[in-house]
Amino acid sequence: MKTMNIIYREKDIPNIREYDVYVANGGYDALKKALGQKPTEVIDTVKASNLRGRGGAGFPTGVKWSFIPQSEPIKYVVVNCDESETGTFKDRQIIENNPHQLIEGALIAAYAIQATAVYIYLRGEFWDQAFDLDARIEEARKGGMVGKNIAGSGYNCEVYTHVGAGAYICGEESALLESLEGKLGQPRVRPPFPANKGGGLYGEPTVINNVETLANVPWIITNGPDAFKKIGTEQSAGTKIFCVSGNVEKPANYEVPMGTTIRELLFDLAGGISGGRQIKALLPSGGSGPIIRINGNDDPILDTPCTYEDIAAKTGSILGSASFIVIDETVDITWVASKVTKFFKHESCGKCTPCREGTYWLDKTLDRIMRGEAKESDVDLIANVARNMQGVTLCALGDFAANPIIHTIKNFPEDFKSHIGAAKTPAAPKTAAAAGD
Amino acid sequence: MVTAMTKLVKVIIDDREYDFPAGMNLVDAAKQVDVTIPVFCYHPKMKPVGMCRMCLVEVGNIQKDRATGEVLLDDSGNPQIRWMPKLQTACTMNVSDGLVLRSTSKAVDEARRNVVEFLLTSHPLDCPICDKGGECPLQNQTMEYGPGESRMNFEDKKHLDKHVPLGDLIFLDEERCIQCGRCVRFQAEVAGDDVLAFHERGRDLQIITVSDPGFDTYFSGNTTDICPVGALTTTDFRFGARPWEMNSVPTLCNHCPVGCNTSASTRLDRDFGGKTMIKRIMARQNEQVNEIWMCDKGRFGHHFTRSEDRLLQPMVRAAGGSLSRETWADAVAAAAKLLGDANGSVAVIAGPSATNEDLFTLKQLAAGVGSTRLGAWPPTHAGADLVAKVGVGKGTNLSNLGKGDAVLVIATDLEEEAPIWRLRVKTAHDRGAYVVVANARKTRMDDFADAVTMYQTGHAATAFADLRKQHPEVAERLINANNLVVFAGAEGLTLDGSRALMQACANFLIETNHVGRANNGLVGVFPGANAMGQHYLGFSPEATRDIIANPPKVLILAQADVVADDPAAAAWLSKVETVISLSLFDDEATRQAKVVLPVQSFAERDGSYTNGERRVQRFYTAQGPIGEAIPAWQAVARIAEKLGQGKARLSAAQVMNDIVAAIPAFAGCKYSDLAKVEAQFPQVGGDDLYYGGTSYKNTGGLGVQIASAADNGEAVALGDVKADAVKGDLIVVPTVRLYNRERVFQASEAQLMAARVAAPYVEINAEDAARLAIHDGDMVQVSAGAAQPVKVRAHVNGAAPKGTVLLPRNLQQTATALTIAAGTVTKV
Ligand SMILES: Cc1cc2nc3c(=O)[nH]c(=O)nc-3n(C[C@H](O)[C@H](O)[C@H](O)COP(=O)(O)O)c2cc1C
Ligand code: SF4
Ligand code: SF4
Ligand code: SF4
Ligand code: FES
Repeated sequence: MKTMNIIYREKDIPNIREYDVYVANGGYDALKKALGQKPTEVIDTVKASNLRGRGGAGFPTGVKWSFIPQSEPIKYVVVNCDESETGTFKDRQIIENNPHQLIEGALIAAYAIQATAVYIYLRGEFWDQAFDLDARIEEARKGGMVGKNIAGSGYNCEVYTHVGAGAYICGEESALLESLEGKLGQPRVRPPFPANKGGGLYGEPTVINNVETLANVPWIITNGPDAFKKIGTEQSAGTKIFCVSGNVEKPANYEVPMGTTIRELLFDLAGGISGGRQIKALLPSGGSGPIIRINGNDDPILDTPCTYEDIAAKTGSILGSASFIVIDETVDITWVASKVTKFFKHESCGKCTPCREGTYWLDKTLDRIMRGEAKESDVDLIANVARNMQGVTLCALGDFAANPIIHTIKNFPEDFKSHIGAAKTPAAPKTAAAAGD
Repeated sequence: MVTAMTKLVKVIIDDREYDFPAGMNLVDAAKQVDVTIPVFCYHPKMKPVGMCRMCLVEVGNIQKDRATGEVLLDDSGNPQIRWMPKLQTACTMNVSDGLVLRSTSKAVDEARRNVVEFLLTSHPLDCPICDKGGECPLQNQTMEYGPGESRMNFEDKKHLDKHVPLGDLIFLDEERCIQCGRCVRFQAEVAGDDVLAFHERGRDLQIITVSDPGFDTYFSGNTTDICPVGALTTTDFRFGARPWEMNSVPTLCNHCPVGCNTSASTRLDRDFGGKTMIKRIMARQNEQVNEIWMCDKGRFGHHFTRSEDRLLQPMVRAAGGSLSRETWADAVAAAAKLLGDANGSVAVIAGPSATNEDLFTLKQLAAGVGSTRLGAWPPTHAGADLVAKVGVGKGTNLSNLGKGDAVLVIATDLEEEAPIWRLRVKTAHDRGAYVVVANARKTRMDDFADAVTMYQTGHAATAFADLRKQHPEVAERLINANNLVVFAGAEGLTLDGSRALMQACANFLIETNHVGRANNGLVGVFPGANAMGQHYLGFSPEATRDIIANPPKVLILAQADVVADDPAAAAWLSKVETVISLSLFDDEATRQAKVVLPVQSFAERDGSYTNGERRVQRFYTAQGPIGEAIPAWQAVARIAEKLGQGKARLSAAQVMNDIVAAIPAFAGCKYSDLAKVEAQFPQVGGDDLYYGGTSYKNTGGLGVQIASAADNGEAVALGDVKADAVKGDLIVVPTVRLYNRERVFQASEAQLMAARVAAPYVEINAEDAARLAIHDGDMVQVSAGAAQPVKVRAHVNGAAPKGTVLLPRNLQQTATALTIAAGTVTKV
């Protein structure tokens, strides 16, 4: 099993982060090619490639771009580099090691929708990366690829970085826009959607894409949509970066063609389950997606191909941002639920009632369960509270917060039962890296 | 805004079909047909935010054939409906053709129950000691929709600070707050004072103030009305009474020409000798006047009615001696004798809080003793006669101003002089109206203007007459506006200058065809609540000027605090032989009067005012009597009766009947007419506490707007604009601050507001200050015209234009210049 590096080209070409090295290896040729086309042609190419958003929802990227009304004079591209999902650490590696590919992809997107500026929004902890990106943007500007008259085409576009204040919710696109505008990071009411007049950045039509999504774009322009579709499956084209963490021997980012199986990922690439133990569960989309129960290393579910469609159909979970948190037999799933809930309670923006109150309620009750002070009915209570949060919140974080409870209780009832009655000391996992303590 | 032009769309609500104007909010539409969708965060005066999730409903769309547009039917012949997979927040949706709404269903009921349950998890449920208890939307909706029991473990509830002063006037109880954001949005969207914000996130999300001093706005009290829980309470009222112990009395604010409709909550109170006492004042809905808002001066400025300075009994001065207490009969007889012996040398000066009834009775009394000398106090603003001619057309509603319309605000600091007009012009601006502010200095209104034009101090009239030359683009927008309303004050003007400006405004409106129509015309930003009443009942500032110049033998001062207002008053008053004072307070003029008659404030009596938009509005008796004070009209009528002018009327209503018969403008203004109400949008108050706040609902009457001459189709002629300007190296311009030390606001007990009243100051330009070696914060002596010099602190802050200093009136006990005059400022 081998990785395939469309994005992580630094693995094949050292120092590709530097402008000269990037250009020497075909960098910015895609942008030049796109600038020679009509904007709609660029959109059509990306549409034809079946590229789907890598930020979690998997929305077709070309379709998203085509929503932008061409008639509006001011439009923006916003790059979502908030990367705050539990177990997600792929975008950071891109901006640190292959930043020009993101800048190039973002500029192609900008040209396609005729945007006047690109804003790269980074999570609050990415200070150093933001300064570094600024330097890379300046390199590209010196090379004539950013700013006025890009590559002599007459097209002008600025690229800015902006560092948030450190909030998971600011990865949600409308909260991101609020934060970028200097306001409190809370999701907006939709419609209007970001692509519409009134819904985007400063009210102007805006495309928001994940870092990895945009980093795919230069390759697609250079090699054509058909070449892209040859990788992966029809519905899940291209490669995908999997952030593998938890109880594996070699936690890391792995870029592989979509359709690689879970087993190949965990056992061939990530070196298998830590200490040769048995796998118990997998969170394929970080804390926010449903947990998959896996009954040991021989469970056929491990042979599920990692595509949007297969993960959904065969595991009842979602591929999402492909943040694979691996959990082995030594880990108490109640502990996992309580850990993840702490995260969501901490990150709920508080704007809407069910999420603000629900995450607090779940957390308090789970604390009591973990302390062995709870009754059996408390487990039913949190399952019910979580269900009451689902489908009624202003943004998806409310659903994300409910998922871990609903699915851990459903898939691992015995782990919860073991906490009822006798007082217990919290069961810690054997490896500290698990679930990111 | 919904107009007759708006397209109607068909909507099905709970299986019945209705027509609604396209674009109407779904919650409002449902409410209109008596389908209640419960809300917490939604408020029809503000943009929806979808925060609380209480309004979740089932929404679908009738399916139509794409090609033909025909409704698709199912097998049984009913329209096919595509239901949205998730419940939707009704507050964030507008009606659209073919929309189908189910306001109750299993899913909807469950969602509501869950939202209430979530809201109550950490709610303190201290209803028994909560000010909102009894009129609380959260309480009511919990009863209606919530679960009967809490599943939250009691120890797990979140505890927070319960007494957080956001400012001097408002407290926050963090535990009670349900994070609906209404207060934050009101301040930002409606008031335009962005002084509240959310802080932190998740369950820690809290309201904070971001201004210094805290909650720095004139509109803070409104947030306590619209807060759907008891999280925001006023320093004035908190823990003062329970809602169900109080009666709600329709009354009016008497502080400014807006004439906000208000509601006094009253109860028998031990703090007021067991008499009925006003415990709080809230806004009462009158969409054409104040919508559902009021300013903090009106809300908290009722303490003066119970001040210890109130006069308690009639007094008469023995020849050359001191005042001594008399019975009403003796005092009335003494006054009648003085008037009868005056040989017609009688004049009246009536203050801005005298009601229509008071003024009419005074006018009749004067006429009975052969005088027509009726002065309006203070004599600062001319042109009420012009407002009567070309004032805003009947049916004007500032809320209807928007795109294509324009507003000009000239020679006034609208925020300080008429706060709710400032608020309403601000929202008109937000709706797209073109707002122009013209003044000799910067004012707060500039923040909400599309254009600000500055003119030289004192030159408002000429500047305006020259507008077309000086600022053609601005003039163009005003001329071509569909609707144009002009707010004109008299800041920085003499009385003649004020007349000139009003005439220039009137001319402009006539020439550009902005008169005699609703939402067009002139509004005078006059002092007090009843300047237009003064005009219609024959009182004018010009007459006051004449009275001052040619003192009568007997002068009746009716609620005119002349010495506190005018530094020259002591001098001209001394030339009057006899003063008869009808007053609330033991003020300086009273101290030199021969007869002192204690009269009632608006709180203790009924009566009517004519507001700046010429709306005659009535108020009802709210509070128990003070001492032997009686309504001014009654005191006057008794004097007239004593003089043989006819029997005194028994009620204010009867006096109004006389006014209606005698003064054509008041036709149609009988008390029964003034008391009429009609359905208003949005529907607020009421039993279901739909939007919070019980006293909102207007049951006291919407009043009647007097038609302008232009409304009546009378041709109104242009007039000459006689410019008049004061010359001098340094010109002292008196300005108005909303919070000041006037007796009808600050009198003794009103300590509540004391911290909000600025210490006396003068604003001076940096250049002038440098020339005079004055630094910011220095104590300086200001003299203007003939007035006694005053010592105040200098503010060198860029507010004053060069060559002009701004000296706010009524910030100190000594009177400062009443009108603009040349003067000096020296460091002390
Ligand atoms: C609570 C929440 C957090 C999110 N965080 C991120 C994030 O950190 N990075 C990201 O790219 N997308 C995040 N998303 C998804 C974005 O809203 C958005 O769908 C995405 O940036 C679109 O880009 P794509 O189409 O390229 O995937 C988040 C969504 C939610 C609801
Ligand atoms: S679901 Fe949670 S994060 Fe999203 S808006 Fe509501 S409170 Fe905020
Ligand atoms: S204080 Fe009241 S109005 Fe303000 S957010 Fe809290 S509950 Fe809403
Ligand atoms: S705006 Fe004027 S009338 Fe209204 S409450 Fe304030 S002072 Fe009273
Ligand atoms: S979400 Fe609609 S009323 Fe609060």
